Amino acid sequence: MIAVKLIPHLLAALCLLLVLLRCFASRRKSVLLTSVCGLSAGAFTVLLLRSMPVVSPYLLLKSLLGVGFLALWGVSVAVNYRKNAVALDKNEGGIVSSVAALAGTLLAAFAAGGIAIAKLSDTALATFPPVLLLLVVVIVAVIVGGGATFLEKQLSPRVTITPVGMVVAVVALLLFSASSILRLDLFSPLSMKVMKGVHDLVHQSMESVLIPDHVFVRPVVWKYIGFLFGKEVGFWGGMVIWFTPPVLIALAVSSRKLPSVGHIRQGAQRRKLLAGALREQRLQLLLPLFSLCVLAGAAYQSSFPTVEYWDPKPIPVVANEGGMIILPKKGDILLEDGKIHKYLFKQKEREARFFVLLTPDGQLTVDLDACAICKPDGYGQAEGSVICYYCKTLIPLDTVGKPGGCNPVPIPFTVKDDAVVIDALTLINTWGATVQATTRVKEGGK
Amino acid sequence: MSPYIIETGGLTRSYGDICALKPLDLQVPEGEWLSVMGHSGSGKSTLMNLVGGLDRPTGGTLQVGGENLLALTEDGLARFRRNFVGIIFQQHHLVPYLTAIENVMMAQYFHSMPDEAEARHALERVGLGHRLKNRPGELSGGEQQRVCIARAIINSPKLLLGDEPTGNLDHKSTIMVMELLKELRGEERFTVIMVTHNQDVAAWGDRTIHLDDGMLVREERMNCQ
Ligand SMILES: Nc1ncnc2c1ncn2[C@@H]1O[C@H](COP(=O)(O)OP(=O)(O)O)[C@@H](O)[C@H]1O
Ligand SMILES: [Mg+2]
Repeated sequence: MIAVKLIPHLLAALCLLLVLLRCFASRRKSVLLTSVCGLSAGAFTVLLLRSMPVVSPYLLLKSLLGVGFLALWGVSVAVNYRKNAVALDKNEGGIVSSVAALAGTLLAAFAAGGIAIAKLSDTALATFPPVLLLLVVVIVAVIVGGGATFLEKQLSPRVTITPVGMVVAVVALLLFSASSILRLDLFSPLSMKVMKGVHDLVHQSMESVLIPDHVFVRPVVWKYIGFLFGKEVGFWGGMVIWFTPPVLIALAVSSRKLPSVGHIRQGAQRRKLLAGALREQRLQLLLPLFSLCVLAGAAYQSSFPTVEYWDPKPIPVVANEGGMIILPKKGDILLEDGKIHKYLFKQKEREARFFVLLTPDGQLTVDLDACAICKPDGYGQAEGSVICYYCKTLIPLDTVGKPGGCNPVPIPFTVKDDAVVIDALTLINTWGATVQATTRVKEGGK
Repeated sequence: MSPYIIETGGLTRSYGDICALKPLDLQVPEGEWLSVMGHSGSGKSTLMNLVGGLDRPTGGTLQVGGENLLALTEDGLARFRRNFVGIIFQQHHLVPYLTAIENVMMAQYFHSMPDEAEARHALERVGLGHRLKNRPGELSGGEQQRVCIARAIINSPKLLLGDEPTGNLDHKSTIMVMELLKELRGEERFTVIMVTHNQDVAAWGDRTIHLDDGMLVREERMNCQ
């Protein structure tokens, strides 16, 4: 089971090492050693940080990925300004390039190892004694390194990888690997940011010019503005930001000037040179295109996560004559088992969905199955957090019960006779106010 | 570097019991025009195929253009043929459904990439500027052989091998082809090895070797022709 979960990550790591080994072919040995060390170090670090929560390992990895993605953007823009940067001689033996190669390798391998370990749940890890775990990590790292070395040997020596091709492939593979882990995925937060940014922008410009709905703006225009307020704008905007770097790099490669051959008198020699340059160019397009596919896979994984959420069907409840909803802590359902328990309260036409949860620090909390800013699609629970289905934001369990942002809206309650007591009117009014507010924002001016 | 473009030592090729080429020591200086004569079955084609990298020897050493052909892999041998050798056969071996210029461009394609202007120029040089779009079936024997010459030299080989290229031609066409080859050699400075039955054709060369039953039996140097 653990092995199956890890296969995509190990394959991604294998490809990553393969690319690194071929790119720095003149330093194969040290790159191999560095990457095996990096893989193990990344895994160890994440294991360590998970066992003693000083710094979140997810934050660390996510920052690394973010920096990598920004670097990719930088590189992709830079190669379009300096076209020959694509052909950057990778075999220059200077100390700077040597250090850069090993540092890059170390970081990439570190991230790959960390991501792979982050994929495993605490419960899965707890089944291993720590020493065995460390041993297994090192062995797996060595196997991945060996596999990459073997594959690199099979690869035709005519296939060369430029530093730019290496960067785009490595970052894409890391993002792919990370996209299957909710807390490491970058694509969803990216599209969320785009969506919020566009909303704010449209909002502000609308308000600043004070356009009254009906005088200047025709219904057609509202349709477009409606689109800007929809979820699609975030998705498509995110896609653009996501895919632009490999596209830019591919453009830089394909628009690179071919060597001038006009002065070569002999036709055969001229053709040979030109054919070689064309072949090289086609070869260098391979990795950006490969990365494009990998990034598409990442966006797909991010949009359709395969994580299983704990998401119980809401249980209908009623209020007593006093207008109170009473949920015994130890009835058919054990309220204090650390999982969310969803309920549905109906009163005439009105209804409200809420859940009860015992947070990891021992606080019991009652919250709406909705937040103050998103459409009320509700929450699911994954390890260590609940996720808002609408905006895919992860809310750490410890912060559930605190108001604000995309956190579930808390509902006041009391505990009496080992039961949770909720005022039905407050509940239904809070739901009404929250849902009304979020749907009004979401529908925009439509 | 050896002054010889071809150097063989005890080179042999046998087919089972048949020894097509008995141990042969041959040196060909760069730029020479060597004629090879001999009866049918004396091993002339066998020698050409070995030197051109189309076949592998069963013994001895074989250096062509500084390359040890015995040490080359199949890929290496193919690369050697592409870059180093041009071959003209008695049968023209042109692709029948391609035009003259397309036949030449195909050789360019396998070498590196096609270049139509260059192919046209090559055909013009062999006097076929007016027959570019004709298929081999629409050309005379002499014209076909000239297409072959254009094809053989399009990739600027260092070594041009001819295996009885004039064997099927009448006297007039033969003279035209030989004059063309001589002219091209003057410009491109390639080495020529030409197999022939014809004493007159052999006389165009600098030197003639005679093979008999796979052995070098006689060698003569032409002073003038
Ligand atoms: N593929 C083959 N298999 C068997 N014997 C062959 C083969 N090719 C040539 N030979 C034999 O090798 C000898 C030399 O042939 P070849 O070099 O073609 O002679 P030439 O070109 O001088 O007429 C002949 O006896 C021929 O029968
Ligand atoms: Mg023959």
